[in-house]
Amino acid sequence: MKFRNFRYLVVEGLKNIWTNRLMSIASVGVLVACMLLMGAAVLLSVNVERVLSTLQDQNVVMVYTADDTSEADAMIAMQQIQQLSNVQSVDFVSKEEGVESLIQDMGEEYADLFEFVDEGGEKGSFLPYGIRVSFVDLAQYDQTIEQIRAVEHVDHINDSRELTMQIINMRNLVTTAGVCIVGLLFITALVIIANTIKITMHNRKLEISIMKAVGATNNFIRLPFVIEGIVLGIIAAALTTGLLYGVYRLVVAQLQRVMSLQAVPFGSVVWWLFGLFCLMGVVTGCIGSVISIGKYLRKEGSEFRAF
Amino acid sequence: MESGQPLIEFKGVTKTYQKGTHALNDVNIKIYKGEFVFVVGKSGAGKSTFIKLIMREETPNAGEIFVNGYELSHMRRKDIPYLRRTMGIVFQDFRVIPTMNVFDNVAFTLRVVGASQREIRRKVSHALSMVGLGNKARSYPMELSGGEQQRVGLARALVNNPTLIIADEPTGNVDPNMSYEIVELLTEINRRGTTVVMVTHEHQLVRDFNRRVVMLENGRVVADNSEGAM
Repeated sequence: MKFRNFRYLVVEGLKNIWTNRLMSIASVGVLVACMLLMGAAVLLSVNVERVLSTLQDQNVVMVYTADDTSEADAMIAMQQIQQLSNVQSVDFVSKEEGVESLIQDMGEEYADLFEFVDEGGEKGSFLPYGIRVSFVDLAQYDQTIEQIRAVEHVDHINDSRELTMQIINMRNLVTTAGVCIVGLLFITALVIIANTIKITMHNRKLEISIMKAVGATNNFIRLPFVIEGIVLGIIAAALTTGLLYGVYRLVVAQLQRVMSLQAVPFGSVVWWLFGLFCLMGVVTGCIGSVISIGKYLRKEGSEFRAF
Repeated sequence: MESGQPLIEFKGVTKTYQKGTHALNDVNIKIYKGEFVFVVGKSGAGKSTFIKLIMREETPNAGEIFVNGYELSHMRRKDIPYLRRTMGIVFQDFRVIPTMNVFDNVAFTLRVVGASQREIRRKVSHALSMVGLGNKARSYPMELSGGEQQRVGLARALVNNPTLIIADEPTGNVDPNMSYEIVELLTEINRRGTTVVMVTHEHQLVRDFNRRVVMLENGRVVADNSEGAM
C-alpha cells in the first residue's frame, strides 16, 4: 500500500470516529469501564502481592527451648540454628520480651495475671527462651524444621506451616482470579469494539459497496476500521489511566485511615498499566474490526444491488 | 466492429442460485472493444446476473467468462479489485455518497487506486467537465437533481479511463428528458473508444439510439441484433 493511501485511510478512520461520535463515546465509555475493572484487578493483585511478600519476608518460626535450659545454653542453640544453610536470620527472645509480647497480644489487662503467675520471681520466669528464625527458601521448610528439632535444648517449634501455605494459596487465588477477570474483560471489550465497528460499517455500507465496485482491495476497505478501533482503544486507555489514578488515590487514602497499609505507589505502575491498556485497546481494536468486517468482505455478492 | 479478441465473452454460461433460481442458461455472448450494447429484458430475465458475472460478483455454475483479458471462473479472489479497476460502473440508484461533495465523490475511485493528489485534481476536473458538472464540484448531492446525481455517477465511472463501462439501468430513476441526456453522454463516451454495456428496460430509448441489442428472456439470449432493430 502506498504511503499516500495509508495517510488517506488513517484520516478516514479518524473521520469515522467523529462522524459516529455518539457511538464512539459509548464504546469508549464501556471500554473505560472494562479497563477500570481490569486496572482495579491489577492494582489489587499488585498490592496483595506486595503485602504477601512482606508477610513472607516476616515469616518466622518460633523455636522454644526446654524449661530448664539456661540462657547460655539457649544462646548456643541459637548459634547452631544460625549456622543452618536455609536460615536467614535468628533473633533471641528473652523471657521478659516473651511476656511483653504476650501482654501486647492479649491486652494490658492481662499484665497483672502474668505477674501473678511469676509468683514474684523474675519476669516471665514461667516461659521458655525463644528463638525467632526466618528462612531463606520456604520450599525447604520441612527439612529445615527437622534440622532445628535436632539441635540440643530445642523443645518445641511453633510450626507456622499452615499460615505459610495459606499465604501462598491466597496469592495463587488472587493471581488466578486476576487472570480470569482480565480474560473475561478482554472478551467483553472485544465484543464491544466489534459491535461499534459493525455499526460504523453499517453506516458506511454505501461507501463500502462503491469501494468494492471501483476496485478497492480488502485491506484498503479494512484499514480505516482498524484505525478506528485502535484509536478508540488508545483513547479509552488514556482516560482509564487518568481515572484510575484518581480512584486509586481516594481508595488508598480511605484505607490508610482505617488500617496501616503501605500501598504500591501509582507512579510505579502507571506506565505499565497504560501500556497494558493500550495493548488491550490496540489488540481489541484490531481483532474487533477484523472480525466485524471480515465476514462482510468475504461475501463477494450483494454489494452491486445491496439496497 | 467485430475485430480481434472480444472484450467480454460468455461461453456456454449457466448460473443457478442456491435457492434454485435459474438466472442464466447456456448464454453465449461476445462484446468487442468499442461496442455500445443495450441488454434488455423483463424483470427476472437475467440482466442483473449478467452484470454481476461481468463484475465477478457471482461465478457461473458452468461455462467460461472472459472480461478485459481476465478469465473470471477461476479468478483468485485477490485479483477481483484489479479486474474492477478496468471498468466503470453506473448504478440505477446513483450511489453517490451524501456526505461528500461532487469532487470527492468522483475522486473516490482514484483514491482507491492510490492516485496522487495532482492526478486526482486533473482527472476529476476533466471527468466533471465531460459530464457538464464542471461548475458543481463543490456542491453536495442533496443540492443536485436526480439527473445531475446520475452524471456524478457517470463521472465517477469514467474518471479512471476504463476500457469498459457497465451501466445498470442508469435512466431508471431520472425523468425522460434526462434519460436521453444520460444515454447521449454514454454514447459520447463510447465514441471516444470506451465499450459501453447498458442494461435497460426502456424500449423507446433503445429504439431511438439504434445500437446493438441483446435481449434476455428466462436466462437465455433470445435476440442479439447488432443493427439495433427489434
